[in-house]
Amino acid sequence: MSRPAEPPHIEVRGLTKRWVTRDATIAALEGISLTVAPREFVTVLGPSGCGKSTLLSIIGGLVPPDAGEVRVAGATADGPDPRKVAMVFQDPGLFPWRTALENVEFGLELQGVPAARRREVAKGLLEPVGLRGFETRYPRELSGGMKQRVAIARALALDSPILLMDEPFGALDEQTRLLMGEWLLGIWARTRKTVVFVTHSLQEAIMLSQRIVVMTARPGRIKASLEVTVPWPRDLTGAEATALRARLWELIREESLRALEAGR
Amino acid sequence: MSRATRRLAQVGSLAALVAAWEALVRLGWVDPLFVASPLAVARAVGALAPEAARLLGETLGKTLVAYVLSVSLGVGVGLALGTVRHLYDVVNPFLVALYAIPKILVLPWILLAFGLGTAPAVVYGTLHGFFPVCLLVVGGVRDVDRTPILVARSMGATPAQIYRKVLLPAVLPAVLAGMRLGIIFCLLGVLVVEMFGGIRGMGFLLSSLANAFRPAELFAATALVSLLSVGVVLLLEHVNRRLGHWR
Amino acid sequence: MRVLLGRAAVLLVALGAWELWARSQNPLLYIPPSKIGPALVRVVRLEAYPALPEHLGLTVVEVGVAYALAIGLGLGLGFLLGLPRHLGEIYEPILSGLYAIPSVVWYPSLMLFFGLGPASKIAFGFLLGFFPVVLAVLVGIRSVDRHLLIVARAFGAGPGTSFVKVILPAMTATVVAGLRAGLALTVVGVIVGEVLGARAGLGYLINYAYGFLRTAEYAALAVLVLVLVMAVDGLAALVEARAQRWAG
Repeated sequence: MSRPAEPPHIEVRGLTKRWVTRDATIAALEGISLTVAPREFVTVLGPSGCGKSTLLSIIGGLVPPDAGEVRVAGATADGPDPRKVAMVFQDPGLFPWRTALENVEFGLELQGVPAARRREVAKGLLEPVGLRGFETRYPRELSGGMKQRVAIARALALDSPILLMDEPFGALDEQTRLLMGEWLLGIWARTRKTVVFVTHSLQEAIMLSQRIVVMTARPGRIKASLEVTVPWPRDLTGAEATALRARLWELIREESLRALEAGR
Repeated sequence: MSRATRRLAQVGSLAALVAAWEALVRLGWVDPLFVASPLAVARAVGALAPEAARLLGETLGKTLVAYVLSVSLGVGVGLALGTVRHLYDVVNPFLVALYAIPKILVLPWILLAFGLGTAPAVVYGTLHGFFPVCLLVVGGVRDVDRTPILVARSMGATPAQIYRKVLLPAVLPAVLAGMRLGIIFCLLGVLVVEMFGGIRGMGFLLSSLANAFRPAELFAATALVSLLSVGVVLLLEHVNRRLGHWR
Repeated sequence: MRVLLGRAAVLLVALGAWELWARSQNPLLYIPPSKIGPALVRVVRLEAYPALPEHLGLTVVEVGVAYALAIGLGLGLGFLLGLPRHLGEIYEPILSGLYAIPSVVWYPSLMLFFGLGPASKIAFGFLLGFFPVVLAVLVGIRSVDRHLLIVARAFGAGPGTSFVKVILPAMTATVVAGLRAGLALTVVGVIVGEVLGARAGLGYLINYAYGFLRTAEYAALAVLVLVLVMAVDGLAALVEARAQRWAG
């Protein structure tokens, strides 16, 4: 797959992060280096506690690094920049007092987009996520999958070139996860954003991404970066996918064991 | 923030408050007829102590009688309402409605009916303490996790055994919470009756000191009653922690 | 259906027993429900107490001023202590601790300082209503879902915007519940203050009727106050329900 020689959209070099508590200092990330090209769909795969969420938060500008450099769309990340980066979390984080539509409008509201335009954009986004007719529903009336779709629509409303997703389907049941994955691919094909997708599911990684970055257990380092050469549409039962799965498991297994033993 | 730092901040703030109060009185910014300085209050505590001790005892005595009554009635009625479903459906709205009635409205009538003495104070105190205890126990019983009960029944436990070994321990936290609240309400009721009816006790002491324009002694007496109340509640919380440690 | 019948039965039995028993007792002391009705009519028609509207008006004003103070100072202190990270930790235990003191012990000091007039009732009503409001603000701030604040920050919200668009709406249900509780307590506080020592007001009137052994009218006044208290709380309940529905 040839890509034009564009500067990387996300550049991480020698990233280190430590969490300091009263009792101890925990090294979360150590010397992480990673690049993501524009319009690339990259999955970050790793065992629990390996720091993948921390990595995403740092790229998103929510958490400052202790050492190393993070450049997003050509500038150093030193705070959240919704014009460049939109984030979706495992907890949809919908505001319970706002309807689905009002939730989607949130980012636009903060940017001062006038009400009529906001409404138009938000309505337009709820349709492709399959929630037409649910605009005036409140989060408490929505299922887990629906809530996450609203959260994704809310992120898409920012129309930012980069989308960071932190285990967005983690709280959903398996069938919903599979459907949401398919649907997300559709959105990505249409919008062609740069996506960094964090997960601990091998299946999701293989199904969704062009490249999988494997992390070690804490302190998190990059163990490997694998191109996913399984052709689209992805057949997870095919030979290529199976081989990739075996390779990934081989890489991840010892990390998962280490994470388990470390009491995570 | 560590516990020690917090304590320091709390004590420091209170000390600053007391110092400011003392300063205000000394500078003459408040009329000493209405507000006494902290030092005067401290001295008054000493002077008042013997009489206050006696009266605290009186008030506390009535409160304890009211407390025993309201807890027994409250727990009894609460358990009954909580366990018997039909009874709850019929009676609970009345209970909630009665709780919402400001009890001060029946106070004059209680004095008419029971005269001026220990009786009205105990009755009114019981009335005050009964409702929170009862409502908390009802809530506690209804909130009990059904699973342990099912397990016990499947093991062949008799109703009496279920009651004693599963239900009562599970309800205990709610009962203790009710008892903690109840003591404050009982004390409140007794004080109100003493104030209103001029019945001997701390309540009457407070109102007569106010009428006599003796702010130092009044603040001293107020402080003593407050300390008593806080002390009793802390004691109950200590007992609560010892009994409920499995949580 | 059976439940409604059961309730009606309980009500009828209770009223019936009260009626029968009261009739057999000293009429000065024990009023059967049947006598309260006519007394209530007399009171409402201002035949019993022509100055009733003035007393009612005074009580309402006292409640109004006390509650306004309770809301204003309660919300103010609540935000002052709750927003900066550590102040709430320091002062909330003190505020909750004061709850362990029966509120009425402050009243004689208030009467000493403010006198027998409306000021002491306002002060007492304020004192009672203030605590639920402050505590509700502190609890409300503390219980805001932190994740929502992270989301807001990720979308570019600064501290001020987060406060207005996340913290305030998230706190609403809790604060409104506190405001409702505060109102109920302020009303009780003002009335208790009037009963314990006043020169005017509904509570004073109740005291007056009791003093003159006009028991039927005393009962009627008590019913009147009860109806008013329930009406006020009913309104507050409606507002609370509205707020809770909005707040999700």
